[in-house]
Amino acid sequence: MGGHREKDAADAGGSDAALLRAVAGGDSAAMAALYDRHAGWLHARLTRRCADAEVVREVLQDTFVTVWRSAAGHHGEEAGGWLWTIAARRLVDARRAHERATRLRAAPMEEEHAPAPAAPSAEDRVLAGLEYGDVGTALDRISPELREVLRATVVDGLTTREAARLLGIPEGTVKSRALRARAELRAALAQLNPSPLGGPA
Amino acid sequence: MTDWHAPDDLALRYADGSLPEADAWSLEKHLEHCTSCASRVSRAVRGTTAGVVLAEVRESVLGAAPAAARESLLTAARTDARALTPPRTHSPALIPALTPRLARILWAAGPALRGAWLSAVLIVAVGAVVLAYGAGYAGVRPVLLVVAPVVPVVGVALSYGAYADPLHEITASTPSAGLRLVLVRTAAVLAVSLPPLTLAGVLVPSSGAPGAAAWLLPGLALTLASLALAGYVGCPAATAVTGGGWLCAVLAPALAAPGDRLTARLAEQLSACLDGAPAQGGWAAAAVLSAVALAVRRPAYDHLGRP
Repeated sequence: MGGHREKDAADAGGSDAALLRAVAGGDSAAMAALYDRHAGWLHARLTRRCADAEVVREVLQDTFVTVWRSAAGHHGEEAGGWLWTIAARRLVDARRAHERATRLRAAPMEEEHAPAPAAPSAEDRVLAGLEYGDVGTALDRISPELREVLRATVVDGLTTREAARLLGIPEGTVKSRALRARAELRAALAQLNPSPLGGPA
Repeated sequence: MTDWHAPDDLALRYADGSLPEADAWSLEKHLEHCTSCASRVSRAVRGTTAGVVLAEVRESVLGAAPAAARESLLTAARTDARALTPPRTHSPALIPALTPRLARILWAAGPALRGAWLSAVLIVAVGAVVLAYGAGYAGVRPVLLVVAPVVPVVGVALSYGAYADPLHEITASTPSAGLRLVLVRTAAVLAVSLPPLTLAGVLVPSSGAPGAAAWLLPGLALTLASLALAGYVGCPAATAVTGGGWLCAVLAPALAAPGDRLTARLAEQLSACLDGAPAQGGWAAAAVLSAVALAVRRPAYDHLGRP
């Protein structure tokens, strides 16, 4: 499966690193190529993490405007990972700004964090897919709250503090949920697959 | 890096949002370092309803080019700290090492070498010589020897602390503040005051007073004693005690003693205080003791001169 080779999709010409060097020099064509290569998946990934389309759009635009400024500081690490780092941080910032704005608009005495506006995003539409392997099944068995903590910390590489901001919960909760998520995941996997070998996650 | 690439149906289902979490997560991790899959997924996303948004954002991103690029020229070296994972280590500035070093020493010497005190030292030295030769006053050297040990003490009082240094709050928060800076400034005071005062003492007639260099050890001892005392009572009080104490010890007996010529009595009193191995040895011992006290009370100088 998956017979695609590196070449066939490097359509816009040049490696990411070369494009970033050109972008640092102010080359619009290079930026266009970089955008076409990465903006789509960044948009999809942001959409899975934020139900508000307007915020996603802002974060995406912010990310690439930041790339204009910071391309000179890119040092050969994988461009995709670098872009996601920027985008994820921007999303955290946007969430924080949004939260502050709503808190200001709401009654000032209301100190309690409202539970993060439940995002009926892809995540929830998708819960049905149990036919995928053990890890998927196990993941689907743990609660959405624990799953989004795992995603923020493990997949998106956010710090505890950033994850707390993104999800709108206290840092301590992030830590305890991450612990519980791992424990439940382990238990779910053991239940699904009693052999101690388990598959690589 | 394996040869694995995301199959087309996976890319399509990720693009339209119908891919389950576990698969989405592993695809997302893959996209971070696989340009070819990133391109294909991005193309797939452009084919969905998100395509319109992507096109609009593309326009404004490319439209932001001139301003952003100009900014990037200005800040090419400075990276966006929030956005970039590894902090860069900058190569040290290529300014010649000597200039900032000299500037740093002058800055450290600080208030001691600025303003009224420096002019006072020069006026005392030049005035002594002028008085001796211009006015023909014979008793210049005894007077100079009385005044000289107080000069560095006053310099120290004026060199460290909120009352003396307009930048003291900033100074005090630097790592070199405290005893180290006090000592640097004291050294600057001594370096500036010793040569002119001693030279002036050599130039004027002796009038029965001890040698022109006799005040050096007392001057050092009084300076160190002031510093040691400053650890307890602060710079101004400490210098008042030592400087005033010295003046009293020399002047009071001279004024009280019988005899008609004040200069002679002063010279006599100075000889008792300064001349000979026992007196100088005593001053040396006092200097050493003060230095020891200073070292022991080192931490106290971190808060010296805080208002």
